[in-house]
Amino acid sequence: MPTSTPLDPSVPVRHRWFSPARLLAIASNTLLELVRQKVFYFLLLFALLSIGSSLLVVQFTFQQQFQVLKDVSLGAMSIFSWLLAVLATAQLLPRDLEDRTLYTILAKPVPRFEYLLGKLGGVLLLLALSLALMSALFAGVLAWREQTQLALIQAATPPEDLEAAVQALRASTFTPSLGLAILTIFLRAAICASLTLLISSFATSSIFTVIVSVIAYIIGHIQPVARDYWLHSLPAGQGVSPLVQVFLGFVALFFPDFQLFNLVDEAAAGNTIPFPLFAQTSALGLGYAMVYTFLAYLFFSQKEL
Amino acid sequence: MADPAAIAIRNLTKIFPVPFRKEKVTAVEDLSLEVQPGQIYGLLGPNGSGKSTTMKVVLGLVSPTSGSTEIFGRSSLHVESREAVGFLPENPYFYKFLTGSETLHFFGRLCGLSGPRLAARSRELLALVGLETAANRRVGSYSKGMLQRIGLAQALIQDPRLLVLDEPTAGVDPAGSREIRDLLLQFKQRGITVLLCSHLLGQVQEVCDRIGILHQGRLVSEGPLESLVSVEDQTECLLRNASPELLRSIQAQAAAAGAEVIQIRKPQTTLERHFLKVTHGVSRDASTQPSPQHADVHAP
Amino acid sequence: MRARLLAPVLLLGFGFAKLAPESLLTRVRQSANLHTAPVQISLRQNLSQMGFLAALSGFRAVVADLLWIQAHTAWENTDWGRMKLLLDTVTALQPRAVVFWDGAAWHMAWNASVSALENPAQPRLALRVKAQREFFRLGEDFLLRGIQNNPGRQELYNRLGMLYRDKFEDHARASDAFAACAALPNAPSYARRFAAYELSRVPGREAEAYQTLKKLFLEGEKNWLPTLFNRIRFLEEKLNVRPDERLRIPEGR
Ligand SMILES: Nc1ncnc2c1ncn2[C@@H]1O[C@H](COP(=O)(O)OP(=O)(O)O)[C@@H](O)[C@H]1O
Ligand SMILES: [Mg+2]
Repeated sequence: MPTSTPLDPSVPVRHRWFSPARLLAIASNTLLELVRQKVFYFLLLFALLSIGSSLLVVQFTFQQQFQVLKDVSLGAMSIFSWLLAVLATAQLLPRDLEDRTLYTILAKPVPRFEYLLGKLGGVLLLLALSLALMSALFAGVLAWREQTQLALIQAATPPEDLEAAVQALRASTFTPSLGLAILTIFLRAAICASLTLLISSFATSSIFTVIVSVIAYIIGHIQPVARDYWLHSLPAGQGVSPLVQVFLGFVALFFPDFQLFNLVDEAAAGNTIPFPLFAQTSALGLGYAMVYTFLAYLFFSQKEL
Repeated sequence: MADPAAIAIRNLTKIFPVPFRKEKVTAVEDLSLEVQPGQIYGLLGPNGSGKSTTMKVVLGLVSPTSGSTEIFGRSSLHVESREAVGFLPENPYFYKFLTGSETLHFFGRLCGLSGPRLAARSRELLALVGLETAANRRVGSYSKGMLQRIGLAQALIQDPRLLVLDEPTAGVDPAGSREIRDLLLQFKQRGITVLLCSHLLGQVQEVCDRIGILHQGRLVSEGPLESLVSVEDQTECLLRNASPELLRSIQAQAAAAGAEVIQIRKPQTTLERHFLKVTHGVSRDASTQPSPQHADVHAP
Repeated sequence: MRARLLAPVLLLGFGFAKLAPESLLTRVRQSANLHTAPVQISLRQNLSQMGFLAALSGFRAVVADLLWIQAHTAWENTDWGRMKLLLDTVTALQPRAVVFWDGAAWHMAWNASVSALENPAQPRLALRVKAQREFFRLGEDFLLRGIQNNPGRQELYNRLGMLYRDKFEDHARASDAFAACAALPNAPSYARRFAAYELSRVPGREAEAYQTLKKLFLEGEKNWLPTLFNRIRFLEEKLNVRPDERLRIPEGR
């Protein structure tokens, strides 16, 4: 039996309270776990939806075809990235706890916040990767449809109208706002992931985590209505019962405004998303994600394993 | 100042609240003990006596209700206390989707190792625990004994000065558990301190220098192995090729000196040794030292 | 401190802190007209429960697409009533998707109207013409509502111009619509010419139209199109422009 040679004992053990290498090790390991669970099969479904929807509507004008293609593709990106965020995050902690892999990891010199950030980072990497792949697929289909339409237009349009027709075609396909909209899809998924992490840091089962996260997502979409009502009917009262008042306040205060991250419809309709608006939205989204992650850490740091 | 103890536990009490219930579970109660560097310390006790809980507190996985624990003078509450310790949990289980080698790389990176140094270290440890051939298999397909061994390798990845092993031989066949025992002795030679808990008393007796016995969360007995198990008023004497006449004369001499011969018998090999011999005979000890023909003489 | 107690307090604090930026961002989007109005509750009657839920949680675009495809089927079955209902729902769900306003108007004013005029079930021509105009008006209504929701989009003004020109034959309003289209970003280059052509057909505004056409002509060859020359010649005749002051239109055009 070979004996192991000890690592150089003259190098003193110096602990680093934060180490990007450890964080990366946990994040990439989490990504690897998700990838080896074969989650990427959903991309086939996405391709099917994207290509299928564009073939389903060939009888429409090209503007309408592109509208449908964008709606379906961007909608599928929203749903898939959200589902991935919630389902992948919800199982992170319970799985490690159940397998007791958490014991071995935290018995190493790994601070708990690093473990948590690493896990979240792994999900974010997965989300970024899958959104990038979906975007590439989507762009491919869109470019293919654009070429098809371009050939039709060139064949059927009198020369004096050709320039305007081609311009109209180009305007209804690729726009910079489309990219910004996809980034907000990522942002929303990241918020959902951190929210799910927060829930799972105190939940006792991953089913509970998923259910609460889904409910929070739906409520997050009516939050702006509740907030508006609560803020602006508060002084006058306006015949709203105190119970409803409390409920509206609860929704407004404890839930994020997910409508703000819905820039997809605008981009699909061909409207321009101003960059400052995008930047402000991102800042707010980052704020949500950071607060939820911090609260998740608060629970996790006190967790008895 | 003297070197700090490898593990110092002072007045540790751990009470678990039971969710939705009034009463609480006291897992460990007012426990104090020290493990000195270089020792192999055996923590014994029936199931539920608080062995695992004690280890988890030492490793900072569970917070103490009161009292404190330290590793080489650093409080378990701080992450840096875990720099010099390797832990093998009870029934370890690793990421199924990683291979044995990837598992060691992962834990190595957590300990700040990387590059060729890590690669060499993990190859070395895979060889040490006898998993070279399974290095590129997914851990999901490992047997219980292989899991225990990869767990040991993982605990050793950063070459810690202290090993904490929770039931390292539970569920492992006798050959495997013998190998683990040999490894422990090897670690001791290299000066690694080991805290180990087990309910296989025979094994603990073979390797441990010092023993603590927990019962219902309390330390009921503690001390060096010999002092706990030696029978003070008896002496054992092993003979080879003793003729019946010699035995008779010993008995006569003993009687003359006022001592009593309690028993004369052929020594029993352990069932474990016998098992190893008839199954594959790989146990080094059994094959290199043929059982001598010897007799046990107990004298007062 | 226990996380159970501390976390809700922190979350509440954050809740108050986030109200202002949330409201601010909502206002910014409203003023930039980048805010999809919340789905009105009355919509509930038009949508199945599932659709309503999906619409609520941000996936209404796909529901709108499906309804749009249904509207298309209704068109193929010349079921105009059902089609109108579906188009109203689609545009209410996706008020920011101009293609649906545009398409809805097109179906009403160009397709349904023709079918109404040729309706074999209605023997009286006067009533058929009346029905036809009613569909023109529905088309106009879609465009005007669409413009209200998307004031910055030239496509709807462009279609409105065509509607006034080809269907209502109201050249003054057609000219205004094309002019409004031309003033918006990404407008097709023909919009200005169309505005001028239409103006040239409005009795009493010939002089104004002539000035516009002249300006277009002087901008150079990119505007030298047969219709432009025709309208210039027409107005020069009508306004009795002196031969030496007339524009020199290149031979053979
Ligand atoms: N997380 C926990 N919550 C509640 N009770 C626990 C928890 N962990 C251990 N216990 C209880 O503490 C006691 C000691 O458990 P443990 O330390 O695992 O014993 P051992 O390892 O000696 O078998 C047992 O009664 C067990 O039920
Ligand atoms: Mg135990």
